[in-house]
Amino acid sequence: MEAGFDREWRIDELLDAATLGRTMDALTALAGGELAVLGADGGALWGRAGEDMARRPLVLELEPVGQLAGRGVAAERLAGAAALLQQLMRVQVRYKMASSLHLEAVAEDYESLRREHLKLQESEARYKQLSAQLEVRVKAQVALLEERQQMLYEAEKLASVGQLAAGVAHEVNNPLGFLRSNLSTFRHYLTQFAELKKRLAEGDAAWQALDLDFVLTDGEELLDECIKGGDRIARIIGELKSFSHVDHSTEEYYDLNECLRHAANVIDGQLPAGVELRLELLPLPGLVCLPGHLNQVFLNLMRNAGQAIADARRPGVVRVSSEADDDWITIRIHDDGVGMTPEQRSKAFEPFYTTRPVGSGAGLGLSSARNIVLAHSGRIELDSRPDAGTTVSLFFPVPRK
Amino acid sequence: MPDSEAGRLSFKLVYYGPAQSGKTTNLLRLHDQLAPEMIGEIMTLETQDDRTLFFDLLPLGFRAPSGLLIKFRLFTVPGQVAHDGTRKAVLSRADGVVFVADSARTQETNNAESFQTLAANCSRVGLDFEHLPLVVQFNKQDLPDAVPEQEIRDRWSAAPWPLHFASALHGVGVRETFADLLRATWRCHAESCELASKHGLDEAGFVAGALGGG
Repeated sequence: MEAGFDREWRIDELLDAATLGRTMDALTALAGGELAVLGADGGALWGRAGEDMARRPLVLELEPVGQLAGRGVAAERLAGAAALLQQLMRVQVRYKMASSLHLEAVAEDYESLRREHLKLQESEARYKQLSAQLEVRVKAQVALLEERQQMLYEAEKLASVGQLAAGVAHEVNNPLGFLRSNLSTFRHYLTQFAELKKRLAEGDAAWQALDLDFVLTDGEELLDECIKGGDRIARIIGELKSFSHVDHSTEEYYDLNECLRHAANVIDGQLPAGVELRLELLPLPGLVCLPGHLNQVFLNLMRNAGQAIADARRPGVVRVSSEADDDWITIRIHDDGVGMTPEQRSKAFEPFYTTRPVGSGAGLGLSSARNIVLAHSGRIELDSRPDAGTTVSLFFPVPRK
Repeated sequence: MPDSEAGRLSFKLVYYGPAQSGKTTNLLRLHDQLAPEMIGEIMTLETQDDRTLFFDLLPLGFRAPSGLLIKFRLFTVPGQVAHDGTRKAVLSRADGVVFVADSARTQETNNAESFQTLAANCSRVGLDFEHLPLVVQFNKQDLPDAVPEQEIRDRWSAAPWPLHFASALHGVGVRETFADLLRATWRCHAESCELASKHGLDEAGFVAGALGGG
C-alpha cells in the first residue's frame, strides 16, 4: 500500500494541472499581472518563473509547500491570490485525506471481515471433521455392542443347555445306579448256579442249601427292574432329542401339548423340592411351528415358575394349562411363588434384566421367549403380584382352514 | 518511527479514547494554550452532532538548534464503537498516544473496552503496545459524578503509564498531559533520531519547544 492518509501531501498532488489551469487563469485576471506557481523544489508547476518575480509562500500546515510568484502584481493582490490558493489547497487536502482514510478504513474493515471469515471457515472444518469422526465412532460402538449382545445371547443359550444337561444327567444317573447294583447282584446269583454245578451229586439238598428258589425269583425281579430302568433312560433320551434341534429351524406341524409334555418331563426331576408340576391340557389344533424353540420357551418358563416358588420358601404348585377356541391357542404357566413388583414387571421383557445374582443367567429368558413367540405371530402376557404369584400367558393364532 | 524528510522530523501523536470523552476538546485547548514557534489551524474533517467521524488534526512545530524542523501532528480518533476501521487507520504509524478516559462512574465499562481496543488495535497496525509512549488522562474531573482521583490512582497503581486528571473544557490538565506525552516520546525516540547528540535537543528543550511561551 502507498503511504497513508496522514502523509505530508505535495502541492502537485493537491492541485493537478487542470485545476491549476482553471484557477490560475481566474487569479491572473484578478491580479492584473503575470503569475507562476512553484513547487517545494522551486520548479514551476504553472506559468513561467523568473528571478525577478516577487514571491509568497504557500503554507499548508506549518511550512511552505510551494510558492506563488508574481510580476507586475501589487503586493496586496499577490498576498490575496496566495491566500486564496492556500485556501483551495486546504480544501483539497481535507478531501484527499478523508477519501484516503476512508479507503484505509474500508480495507481494514475488509481485512477484519476476512479474518473473521477465515476463523469461521476453520471452525466449520473442525466441526465437520469432528462430526465425521463421531459418526465413525458411533458406528464402531454400535457394532461392538451388537457383537457383545450376540456373545451374551450365545452364552445364555449355552448356559441353558448346560442346565438341561445337568438335569438330564441327574435323571439318568438314578436308574443307572440301580441298574448297576441289580446287575452285580445278579452276577453273584450266577456264581451260586456255578456252585450248584459242582454239587450236582448232592441233588436236591444242594439246591436247598444254596437257596436257589429265592435266587430265581429275586433274579427275575432284578432283571424286570433293569428293563424298566433301561426304558426310563430311553424315554429321557427321547425327550432330550426334542430339544436337540433348536438350531435347525425347520417348521413342523405340531401339537403344542406335546411340547408341553416334553418340557414337563425334562423339568420334572429338576424342580426344587416342594414344587408340584400339574398339567391341565385340553385338546389343541395343530400348529405350524418350530417345536425345538417352543420346547425351550416352555422349559424356561416352567423353570422360572419353580424358582419363584422356591424363592417364596414354601411348597407350591406350577400349573400348566392349555386350551383353544376358534381363533387362539392359549397356554398359561402359573405359579404361586414370590411374584414381581410393578417395577420388575415393567422391565421383565428387557434383555439382560435379571433379579438373580450374577452368574445365574444373563437375563435373556423372557426376552428370548418373547422373540420366539413373536416369530410365531403370537403374543406373550405377564400378570404378577408380589407374594401372590405369576402367570405367563402365551397366545398363538389358530391357522385358518 | 517518526517520519523523517530532509530538514524535518514529524511525530504523529494520537488522542485515543471512548466516544465523547473529550479528545477534540483537548486539541482545541492545546491550540489556545500552546505557543510554539509554529502552530497551524485545527483541521476538523467531518462531524455529526458534535462527534468526530474521521479525525481532527492540529499541526505544530519548532526548529531545533541544529536547524531541523521538529513537527508534531496531533490526531484524534473517532470514539464511537462503530468506527473501528477508521480508528485503526488513524492509529497506525502513531509515535505516541494519549488515552482520554471519561471520569464518570457510568463510563467505566466504556473506558475499559476502549482501552482494550487500543491494545488490540496497536498489535493489528504493528505498534509495540508495551513500548509505545502512552499517557492516560481522566477527563471531566469537574463533573459531580466523576470517580475521585484517589480511587482511580489506587486502581491504576500497578499500571506503568503516567496518570493525568483533567477538565479539558476548562483547560485544566490539558497542557500537563501533553507535556508528559512529549517526555515519553522524547525518551522513546531520542536515541534513534539523534535528538540530543546531533540536533542539540535534550528532554527539557524538546518539551519547551513544543509547549512554547518560555
